[in-house]
Amino acid sequence: MERPILEIIKNIEEIPTLPMVAMEVMTLSKSPDVSIKAISECIHRDPPLAAKVLKLANSAFYRRGTQEIDTLHRAILMMGLNEIINITTSVSVLSVLGTRDKGGESLRIKFWDHCVATGLIARHVDKKIRMKAQGREFVGGLLHDIGKIIFDEFFHEKFMEAHALSIQRKCSMFEAEKEVLGTTHMEVGHFIAQKWGLPPYIADINLYHHQPGNAKFKDITSLISIANLLAKAKELSCGGDSVSFVLKDQEAWHILRKMGYSMDVLDIERITFEIEDIGEEVKTYLSAVSEEPVAEGANG
Amino acid sequence: MADYLPSAAVQMTDETFRLLRDFIYEHSGIYFSDNKKSQLENRLSLRLRANNLPDFDKYYYMLKYDPQASKELRALFDSVTTNETSFFRSPPQIQAFQEKALPEIMERRAEKGEKILRLWSAGCSTGDEPYTMGIVIKEILSEKIKEWDIKIFASDISEKALKSARASTYNEYTLRSVPPEIKTKYFTQSGSQFTVCDEIRMLVELQYLNFNDTKRVKLMRGFDIIFCRNVLIYFDDDAKKRFVAQLYDNLNPGGYLFIGHSESLHNISRAFKLVHFPGALGYKKE
Ligand SMILES: [Fe+2]
Ligand SMILES: [Fe+2]
Repeated sequence: MERPILEIIKNIEEIPTLPMVAMEVMTLSKSPDVSIKAISECIHRDPPLAAKVLKLANSAFYRRGTQEIDTLHRAILMMGLNEIINITTSVSVLSVLGTRDKGGESLRIKFWDHCVATGLIARHVDKKIRMKAQGREFVGGLLHDIGKIIFDEFFHEKFMEAHALSIQRKCSMFEAEKEVLGTTHMEVGHFIAQKWGLPPYIADINLYHHQPGNAKFKDITSLISIANLLAKAKELSCGGDSVSFVLKDQEAWHILRKMGYSMDVLDIERITFEIEDIGEEVKTYLSAVSEEPVAEGANG
Repeated sequence: MADYLPSAAVQMTDETFRLLRDFIYEHSGIYFSDNKKSQLENRLSLRLRANNLPDFDKYYYMLKYDPQASKELRALFDSVTTNETSFFRSPPQIQAFQEKALPEIMERRAEKGEKILRLWSAGCSTGDEPYTMGIVIKEILSEKIKEWDIKIFASDISEKALKSARASTYNEYTLRSVPPEIKTKYFTQSGSQFTVCDEIRMLVELQYLNFNDTKRVKLMRGFDIIFCRNVLIYFDDDAKKRFVAQLYDNLNPGGYLFIGHSESLHNISRAFKLVHFPGALGYKKE
């Protein structure tokens, strides 16, 4: 009876799952002494996945040197195991959820613009405050709102209703969702992240990016919380109310400050100007992950 | 206009761009984001010629190490802010003014039963800014504007600029960002010239004011919103700090200061709360 839609989601059979191999990579990545060999062998068992990972590793977005990275093994050596796990997480979730616009609904495109922007801004702020989240901040930002996609896919009408309500009432999306759908994208995103075996920090970010004080991974969730706001301030928002906010008054800000990050000396204005043209980078990333046919033989 | 230069031959490398960008930001608080590289390149190529320098590297070193560079700084700031005035410039900022700051202040005022608004366009140049503010207020209040006591003070140090502000007549180019319906509603056209209508002009009070005249600046009290765009760049850090502290005092509690779209008060004032609006920043006095 309580939270019926969340219950329904928990029982919907059509809810896609991650490819087996991706789930295995997630599991492997949780063990502290995972080897390069184990990860690369595992990804190889799913050639399309391997090809996608390599494609992204070679894209304008990730590529550092001029030399093409032609094998996974090489990719891991050059980019580090963490980054390859990050890329695997991103491409497998994105290929299941689909980054393409469905039937001309502009909300989907806006949704991914918002998510990629949040990831990019998180990466930028991570550098500024030296959190050293090692690319997890990008994946965390990219996947912080996956509950919204599930709403859009399975409760499209109601989700649109919530969207309209949040604009009309100038309230946040999650308040409108709570009213129309009886649950929020945070709860649903958290459920999906767990169901798919995504790294625990991603499940945590999904559940708490609007209340970082409750998070287990407080630092990265607070970082995403801030990046989420800044993405909206750049008008890269997936709908809902248009926000104005004082960064220094945010719970996330206080948390990071208390944790010892150098928030007091941050030049917020400059950061805001620096992310001015982030839209370009968002496009670069999205075109790198878009589902064009992947080149043959990339699974060496 | 000045952004176009026939065959600007000298190119700015990315590295020099970053050096110059950081230098300008440090000295003026104005930030050139990566997508404004060619804008900076075009504008500064005039300065290269004026100084007879072969490339931007040399220009940067002159700024940084030449003891005479303070004179050049002024010319540099002029060239980076030229042609910055026009009606409805920087739409996100106007949107923040129109949809966030003004309604917030008006609501509070109306609740208290004191329907008074005091605004200041500090450094109003040829009047584009105060008239834009007036139009926005009229658009919000419509006929209810009669219930309000509204004054937009507009000050500048240039008599020449004030003279054109008084004439309040502009060409098509100055009005390029004005939505057509606003143009027909608030301007009377004669030939290629557009004059601001009286109901908006009545809201605006133009006056000469030198910001160094601290006594008079102090008297500018009780403002709800101050626009002070691209003015601070001409002050050194200490003068900037003093002037911004003064602007803070000039505001009512709950009031807002808006500066240039890519201008920053970082390291200049900690008194204000920095507010992020969609696409624009504002400084709030609490
Ligand atoms: Fe969210
Ligand atoms: Fe979000």
